[in-house]
Amino acid sequence: MIRVFGKFAPYVVKTLWRHRSRTLLTVCGAAVAMFVFCFVGSVQEGLRRLTADEDAQRTLIVFQENRFCPTSSRLPQDYVGRIQKLPGVAEVMPVQVWTNNCRASLDIVVFNGAPPKQLRQARELTLLAGNWTEFETRRDAAIVGRNVAQRRRLSPGSQFSIGEMSVQVAGVFSSPVPSEENVIYTSLDFLQYGRGQDFVGIATQLEVKPTEGTDPDELARRIDETLKSGPVATTTRSKGAFQTSTLSDLVDLIDFAHWLGYACLALVLSLVATTTVMSVQDRIQEHAVLQTLGLRPARIFRLVIGESMLVCTIGGLAGTAVALVALGWGGMAIGAEGVTIAFRPSAQLALLGSLISVVVGIIAGVFPAIQAARTPIVMALRQA
Amino acid sequence: MALVEIRNLSKSFRKGDEVIAPLAGVDLDVEHGDFISMMGPSGTGKSTLLNLVSGIDRPDSGSITVDGVEITKLPRGKLADWRAANLGYIFQTHNLVPVLTAYENVELPSLLLPISAAERRKRVQLALEAVGLSDRADHYPRQLSGGQEQRVGIARAIVAHPTVVVADEPTGSLDAATSVQIQILLKRLNRELGITMLMVTHDPNVAAIATRRLTLDRGQIIEMQADELVEHT
Repeated sequence: MIRVFGKFAPYVVKTLWRHRSRTLLTVCGAAVAMFVFCFVGSVQEGLRRLTADEDAQRTLIVFQENRFCPTSSRLPQDYVGRIQKLPGVAEVMPVQVWTNNCRASLDIVVFNGAPPKQLRQARELTLLAGNWTEFETRRDAAIVGRNVAQRRRLSPGSQFSIGEMSVQVAGVFSSPVPSEENVIYTSLDFLQYGRGQDFVGIATQLEVKPTEGTDPDELARRIDETLKSGPVATTTRSKGAFQTSTLSDLVDLIDFAHWLGYACLALVLSLVATTTVMSVQDRIQEHAVLQTLGLRPARIFRLVIGESMLVCTIGGLAGTAVALVALGWGGMAIGAEGVTIAFRPSAQLALLGSLISVVVGIIAGVFPAIQAARTPIVMALRQA
Repeated sequence: MALVEIRNLSKSFRKGDEVIAPLAGVDLDVEHGDFISMMGPSGTGKSTLLNLVSGIDRPDSGSITVDGVEITKLPRGKLADWRAANLGYIFQTHNLVPVLTAYENVELPSLLLPISAAERRKRVQLALEAVGLSDRADHYPRQLSGGQEQRVGIARAIVAHPTVVVADEPTGSLDAATSVQIQILLKRLNRELGITMLMVTHDPNVAAIATRRLTLDRGQIIEMQADELVEHT
């Protein structure tokens, strides 16, 4: 930025300050648009991280055939033993899922019940507060994902109740998989035998880890084949495919939302370009005077581009920063049928937002900058 | 060799179907330290000639050589560099940048020169002293009177130590008393600092302060003697 302005930085800054209302409105407009862009971007990134990470590709989910909502999938727990015997299976973990809302919701609460020891090995969870021992020993103990804890203001020792479900918070955890941070983990027994529950010997889904070198798709096919003769037929898919399928309605919406992101960029572009064009048209004579004093047309071009870039960058950075803070602080997530997409801030999003602000600022300034640099000096000087 | 050599300079404009040629084969030599005034009725090409000598407009034909550099052959960017180093321009309407202080306005042309910040400061202070406005350095144009604004414009024109200073109706927007002050200042700058000046004016009293007085008539330059100017007045 300094290189673009050089010794003319005071001139650029003072020019923007001279029309501070206009500048402020443009900065605010750019900030709002970049805020929305980052929000949309975080949802898309959340979805991508949910479905495309390595764990999601390698882990298999066994679910009851033709069922989608976790409340309707009821797999006999003894399927664990039958699957365990298949070649290529490293581990099988039964998971009981309970959710307060099967529909798409921004405040979904999802309980996953699993054997605590197995859970500790299967998930990369880091306890930020509380302890594992209490979780492993106390029947109604739960460890709570960071996002849920933030949203519901939970900390170790607090009681959390929703519907007939009531747990004692034993810890708060973080996870490299952002969607995990929207889950509350309890023991499997608690969700199977808890008050109002009727899931004895039943699990919602089974998580299968293949051994190294095993083709997950082939293993999925063999699992479904083996269990076809059991009391409940199954559909086995990779975790990524399962989550995409479960969230299919939301995925379509999120896919569509990227157009909203592009619309925000177009909005910033037209807003900053309009402001810069107005600013240039107000100063046709001033630019002619500067050229008479010896500024090259290329330098006039750079000064106008610099103005546009400065306005857009300040607005864009502000919008991006506010979005990142809101995303980090709000712990928001959208989910459906027990699967959640986390809205998390990331360095990638911050970098993208900043970079886009600068690039859009440059593009927005090109037309007015050409206009300013190419106006014949004598003609412009006569416009007194 | 003259400081400014104008040879066979022509410039025409198209106004609808009509072609207007204010300059047709003009020749002029300007020597070091000359103070030239140009008079003539409106539309006779005084400002056009000034713009061509300043390198902010292009002739149809002919050449202008300033201190050995044929500026009519320079490309746009190089011509801008030449203006930064060699030209001081005094506008009729001052044309100060409103967002900059008097000091910053005067400093503008020197920002383009390869000189140190200390040298730049010194030059700006000297230029402001030369026009008697050292105490108004921090004032913005809106806080200055018309005469003070024009003096800042003059300081801006001389700060880069230009080869030639051109002035387009420098007193045209000022009252009589302020106009006299500016005339005295221009004369002093020419005499004491040896600045070569080329000035366009409608006012014979202003033209009278110059050492050489020219008039433009039907595309040609006519040199006037002092008594002719008195008669003209």
